[in-house]
Amino acid sequence: MTLSKEELEKRVSVLERKALREKKARQLAENQLEKYSLDIYEANQSLKAALAGSEQKQLELEYLAHTSSAVASEIPLREMVSNIVDLTGEFCCARYGLFVISEEGQWLTEKTPKVWISEQGWQENNAIKEFVTDLLPVSNNDLLASWRSAEIKNNELNESAPLNSIFYTNVAWSGKKIGWLAFLSQEAELNQDLEVILNTSKEHLVSGVRRRLTDIRILQRNVQLQDSISSLEKARRQLIQSEKMASLGQLAAGVAHEINNPIAFIRSNLEVLQDYLHDYKKLTSEVQTNLTEQTTLDTSQFSEMCKKIDLDYIEEDSEDLLKSNIEGLDRVKEIVDNLKGFSHAGDEALVATSLNNCIQSALKIAGNMFKYEHKVINNISAECPPVLGNSGQLQQVFVNLFVNAAHAMEKGGVLTIDYTHIKEGVVLHIQDTGCGMDKETVNQLFTPFFTTKPVGIGTGLGLSVSYAILEAHGAQVSVDSQLNLGTTFHIKFPTID
Amino acid sequence: MKGIVFVKFNEFVEELWGEEFWDTLLDEAQLSSEGIYTTVGTYDDEELFTLIGLVVEQKNISPKDAQFAFGKWVFKELLNAAPAGAHNFKDVFEFLHAVQDFIHVEVKKLNPDALLPEFEFLSETPNTLTFLYQSPRNLCYFCEGIVHGLAEHTGQTVEVSQTECQHQGDSRCVMEVVKV
Repeated sequence: MTLSKEELEKRVSVLERKALREKKARQLAENQLEKYSLDIYEANQSLKAALAGSEQKQLELEYLAHTSSAVASEIPLREMVSNIVDLTGEFCCARYGLFVISEEGQWLTEKTPKVWISEQGWQENNAIKEFVTDLLPVSNNDLLASWRSAEIKNNELNESAPLNSIFYTNVAWSGKKIGWLAFLSQEAELNQDLEVILNTSKEHLVSGVRRRLTDIRILQRNVQLQDSISSLEKARRQLIQSEKMASLGQLAAGVAHEINNPIAFIRSNLEVLQDYLHDYKKLTSEVQTNLTEQTTLDTSQFSEMCKKIDLDYIEEDSEDLLKSNIEGLDRVKEIVDNLKGFSHAGDEALVATSLNNCIQSALKIAGNMFKYEHKVINNISAECPPVLGNSGQLQQVFVNLFVNAAHAMEKGGVLTIDYTHIKEGVVLHIQDTGCGMDKETVNQLFTPFFTTKPVGIGTGLGLSVSYAILEAHGAQVSVDSQLNLGTTFHIKFPTID
Repeated sequence: MKGIVFVKFNEFVEELWGEEFWDTLLDEAQLSSEGIYTTVGTYDDEELFTLIGLVVEQKNISPKDAQFAFGKWVFKELLNAAPAGAHNFKDVFEFLHAVQDFIHVEVKKLNPDALLPEFEFLSETPNTLTFLYQSPRNLCYFCEGIVHGLAEHTGQTVEVSQTECQHQGDSRCVMEVVKV
């Protein structure tokens, strides 16, 4: 197929235009490629910058995390601050770092004047220490809100590379003391970004130091509280003991009477025995004389002599008198033993204790409070299960209750002591038929210094001390009382597991 | 619109009607780009619509047929330019599902600002798939053609129709693809 010249020319011009478009398109594409390259280059650059930035951020975060965990840790305060100096020195690429304490504008001398040195750790270096402390504004006693930095000249330090700046801050220490952190660096000044980070870690440090100082104060308070608690405990024991002695005082007259009675009859018995001895001596002397004068003694004569002094009766009565004396002395001994046991302070250990024995001992001590017009019915037997207790203290409680019961039954009455064995323990019932109490009195029964007795009788502490003792035994007390009918104390002791 | 569409449209027109016709189109269209297209550039959507409009006018075919034919032709061209993974699909429906999750993701990696149509799948049975075609360019007929091109590639026969079409006064374009 042949084309006319016109057609050919047209064809050529179409192709020329196409070629021109292709050329321009190639140029556009190349420009676009260059633009892409540039974009990629720029993206690369900004990525590199971002990477460097994030690496720096990571370092900063690591530094903050380490300082925070040092601050939050339980290591001793000085060790914690040393850690902070260590971390800060490394983070800021400082050459030297140190921590010093001042008080009222004066440096306190340290036991170990150590300085942190880059790549060497803590070393003694007085020259650096003096150099730095001379630069710090110790005299103006102000706490700095942030880090400060200053240019320095240090020709005298003979450093291989010059130190160009110092940066420092301080924190409140205990009392009026101020703790200073300072660093020497080759950098001309503290970089602003770095300063922000350092200020953040400083805030951590300030709060950490404050917390630790508070902890120390709390610890001291605790020790004081412990002391107070132990002196209170001592006072409590003394109170129990003195209350016991006071109740003993109230019982003294009765106890004296109780002791005096046997002593009186023992004495009178001894007087009679003395007479009998006299008669007996007379008899032996007569027998002696008779034997000397007549060299013999017949039975009728001896019987006569014996009859004269009524020897048969003397022998019989002497035996009775001696028996009675021994019994009397046994009674006195028993009373004295009980009193000794009662007044003895003893320890407070709780052991398996027989309520039966405690009640019986208490009754012997307080028994003389109950006169002829009183009747005491004690239904406690050896079968009553033992409880965990302190017999001396429980006796004190029972004596106190019995004395109160006796006081409540001035004109006579019945004291009944009984118990119920229940699943969770033993309940003692101490019942009197005395004057009873109104509700108000019952409510205040265990209040210290509350008493219905006249001045001079009772301390008002008896029941409150008894209550405290029973509480320490894990026992629960309840009271039923009706005016003019009487009062019953129910004391529930837990069983021994 | 991405330059590859213009470059391929150029190739499509030249292949069908010759370089002279393309030259005439450009001469008449008076485009700001002067028809100098590269695959790496981005050009005004209107230029494509103008060119299609002129083809429709001069060749006396409907805009629908023009878009459809270009779509059907261009699929294999676009597939050649697509990442290797796009060649593994053996089924039209499978491919259509992967368009958004895979192909468009790849396109976005190279052209973050590319404006791509979105498909919202409405229903699917083993033989029928309906989806919503959403694009501000409203090239739903072009899309129909592309699906046909895709079916040619997978060796399947499909019928593509629109149950709703914005060009027919509906509020949206819903494509229905049925495997025959």
